[in-house]
Amino acid sequence: MTDVPVQRIRNFCIIAHIDHGKSTLADRLLQDTGTVAARDMQAQFLDNMELERERGITIKLQAARMEYTAADGQTYILNLIDTPGHVDFSYEVSRSLQACEGALLVVDASQGVEAQTLANVYLALENDLEIIPVLNKIDLPGADPERIKEEIEAIIGLDTSKAIDCSAKTGLGIPEILEAIVERVPPPPDRVNEQLRALIFDSYYDAYRGVIVYFRVISGQVGRKDKVLLMASKTSYELDEVGVMAPDQRQVESLHAGEVGYLSASIKAVADARVGDTITLVADPVSEPLPGYTEAKPMVFCGLFPTDADQYPDLREALNKLKLSDAALNYEPETSSAMGFGFRCGFLGLLHMEIVQERLEREYNLDLIVTAPSVIYRVNMLDGSILMVDNPATLPDPQKRESIEEPYVKLEIYTPNTFNGTLMELCQERRGEFIDMKFITTDRVTLHYEMPLAEVVTDFFDQMKSRTKGYASMEYSLIGYRRNELVRLDVLINSEKADPLTTIVHRDKAYNVGKSLVEKLKELIPRQQFKIPIQASIGSRIIASESISAIRKDVLAKCYGGDISRKKKLLKKQAKGKKRMKAMGKVDVPQEAFMAVLKLNQ
Amino acid sequence: MTGKGTRTFAYGHVANPDGERVHRHFPVVNAPRAAYLHIPFCHRRCYYCDFAVVPLGDHADGAHSASIAAYLPLLQAEIAASASPAPLSTVYIGGGTPSLLTPRQLGQLLDGLRQRFGLVPGAEITLEMDPASFDRLRLDGMLAAGINRVSLGGQSFDDGVLERLGRRHRRGHLLQAAGWLRQARASGALSSWSLDLIQGLPEQDLPHWRQQLQQALALEPPHLSVYDLIVEPGTVFERLQRRGQLPLPDPDLGADLMDLTGELLRGAGYGRYEISNYALPGHASRHNRVYWSGGGWWGFGLGATSAPYGQRQARPRTREAYAAWLQTKGASPPAGEPPFDEWLIVGLRRREGVNLHQLAEAAGLSAADRASLKRWMAPMRQRGLLLVEGQRWRLADPEGLALSNAVLRELLAWWEARQRPEQAMAEPLPAASP
Repeated sequence: MTDVPVQRIRNFCIIAHIDHGKSTLADRLLQDTGTVAARDMQAQFLDNMELERERGITIKLQAARMEYTAADGQTYILNLIDTPGHVDFSYEVSRSLQACEGALLVVDASQGVEAQTLANVYLALENDLEIIPVLNKIDLPGADPERIKEEIEAIIGLDTSKAIDCSAKTGLGIPEILEAIVERVPPPPDRVNEQLRALIFDSYYDAYRGVIVYFRVISGQVGRKDKVLLMASKTSYELDEVGVMAPDQRQVESLHAGEVGYLSASIKAVADARVGDTITLVADPVSEPLPGYTEAKPMVFCGLFPTDADQYPDLREALNKLKLSDAALNYEPETSSAMGFGFRCGFLGLLHMEIVQERLEREYNLDLIVTAPSVIYRVNMLDGSILMVDNPATLPDPQKRESIEEPYVKLEIYTPNTFNGTLMELCQERRGEFIDMKFITTDRVTLHYEMPLAEVVTDFFDQMKSRTKGYASMEYSLIGYRRNELVRLDVLINSEKADPLTTIVHRDKAYNVGKSLVEKLKELIPRQQFKIPIQASIGSRIIASESISAIRKDVLAKCYGGDISRKKKLLKKQAKGKKRMKAMGKVDVPQEAFMAVLKLNQ
Repeated sequence: MTGKGTRTFAYGHVANPDGERVHRHFPVVNAPRAAYLHIPFCHRRCYYCDFAVVPLGDHADGAHSASIAAYLPLLQAEIAASASPAPLSTVYIGGGTPSLLTPRQLGQLLDGLRQRFGLVPGAEITLEMDPASFDRLRLDGMLAAGINRVSLGGQSFDDGVLERLGRRHRRGHLLQAAGWLRQARASGALSSWSLDLIQGLPEQDLPHWRQQLQQALALEPPHLSVYDLIVEPGTVFERLQRRGQLPLPDPDLGADLMDLTGELLRGAGYGRYEISNYALPGHASRHNRVYWSGGGWWGFGLGATSAPYGQRQARPRTREAYAAWLQTKGASPPAGEPPFDEWLIVGLRRREGVNLHQLAEAAGLSAADRASLKRWMAPMRQRGLLLVEGQRWRLADPEGLALSNAVLRELLAWWEARQRPEQAMAEPLPAASP
């Protein structure tokens, strides 16, 4: 049993935009409190997935417990709960915020507040968190803390008179931050003597111990050998281990209300211990779980197919394993005459999709063909039934359906006002409905649109970034389904329907999309030994058509004694290049072509 | 097969693992009868060239070049150290610009070969010559030294093009040199000669190329080598291409140029006996056919590749490294069989293609393997690229030859899949009708 009085516990998180220095600050806090010795410091300690370090973003959140002796001479326990910094994972963010009483709002002293930060600040305010504004990178020449403070007051309405200037890189301001956490973040309510309620805010899969659950005890206490019930998944376990993250896992006898820790209980998959679930005791269960639990719902879908049909079992195995550590990943077998056997997978968003795809290729050594992302459509059939369609190729024929509805999001873009025009144009092109525009400072605005999710999951984010030189940021949340005039656009390669290239588009855009799609495919599909017609059609009507002319010369002009080895090597290399392609309608189609629909505007 | 000096097949009995006698073809390894000598020296390096060459400046000559004087003894030493000599029936002196050597230096090299191997009566002895590197007198001297076939590096009849290729010679040199070769042939001192041309050059179009071919035909060379330009890494052309300053004909025009070559030369009586080589009857290069028929050859000199008994061995490309190499491994050529896939890569370049049955048996392939290969290649046959006539497989002229890489890649893919028997071999889909 840790015997820390509840009054000397502080649970806090860090809210920051990507690149604003959250991980560096976290590292610095661990170092200055002596939690991690400087020599053990790996840059960005909390981001421990290889992929996270590379991308400089936090995907899976982590937690760390620090001991800090404050100016008042008392030793406090500070629990830092890390939050993922991407819109795909906003549910996880909301759960980790619920585990805290305070938050450091880290803003880059030259760049100002970004959309994602703002969304998380609002979440934090909703959770009644004490927010401590921190202006980071104060040492950089472009830093303008006074302007940024004004911005924070204007946008968020926070009092910045006690904002802390800091440089996580040089260590400036770190002592002030630690003191502020102790002084300003309230201690957790003392509910040690109530029944056990603990909130799961993260979990990951460990190959040896099963699922490791990160949790915050809200009330009561929990110890090793306790039998616990997970209320949403309705499963119970005897605990093998209870401990704290210091930051390496260290076992303790028990944890009480206000504390943050981990447990292991031979849980087989993270789906059995979902983020947001409530832990209680089997012997003395509470009647009501903690509020706010929802199951993460995939919003974006794509097909994953092995390039080499022999790798299908390996892909299935790899997805099984990933699923153990990623409760939000959904998949089911998909078969297509063009692509062979593969899986239809659901993701929280585009980043989640890319991460899974990259992990499959990197960690499991698979060569994948990935189809363009799609959303889930609601199809009202003439017979009154409702069909949810996550694969455009399976959209029923028009004579069977009454209408199609598609998911809409509320989209907020924060941008320097010089980019207003180009962004409004972009939103217009993407069927966005303008709601309003607000000046948040004299030179920054927020644009508010309602837009089909399908338009967002294409290359919207990249387009927004490139049109604004990277200055704009965005946030979106699902607001429901709306009926639209949508049609299924099919692609025929060499007169055969190419299912993975099928897409659902608005009727008014169908002709243009069809035309640019076949043009793009003509660019992306290499010429082969015969002429290849490429067509786009709606139903049986061809709306656009191109053809790739046959390649007529592919020959090694010279081959004498000394050339033979080199020529053979060259031919073998070319033959390998073919492996990255999928044969469709007897045509070798490269991976890029399956993403063609995302690249129509480039 | 071109008779002596190359690989031949014998038919006979062998015992299978069950002790039964079975009939099969197997290759008979004869001592090589072909020798390649590399003379790396050039006046300058042409913009498309990535060979092992040593540029000596525009006024260099074998008569007074210390580099050449220092190199020839190394070459002689390597020749003298060769094992298992059998008389040679072809010698090819290539480069570089071997016509930089004096008739006397060439005579000494041929003497070295005569002493070590012997030369059969009527042996084909080819010298590569640069049009601006010799005159009538020097040519006579070279022929007197024993050269009886010349390969003339003409490349183009257009001075602007020659300039852009970084060549030293001009159209005038080429016409004059060809004139001397024709006279020598008429007098019987030269048995054959060949003209090299490059097609697919920057800014080349059909009318221009037609003119080039017509000028070449007017010289009546008994043999023509017409090579597509290849932009090799490390060349001036590659740098230009990277900077977007090498306006090569697009692939379709490239194909048209190649078709035009075939058409015009066929009309003039030349047979296309290899992808890039055309000859009047009886004038195909005997030496080069050794490479394409899987035969063995000696190779001497810096950067040269030899394959006396099937396994290739490449020599270092700098003089110091070559000299050091001679001290250590010069005398021990590796032995072994060229693999099945390489026999196909080279054999299918020839008009006559390959006898698949013989090659397959020699490589130890079963009847089931041959049937599998035949099924695998069915799409290529249906597209009319590959012709199967009994045991003989060959590429259709011109479609198959023009797309030979596509056919070879399929063959290599089959061969690779067969090398990994643990993975099931998927049969390809039937071909689309083009």
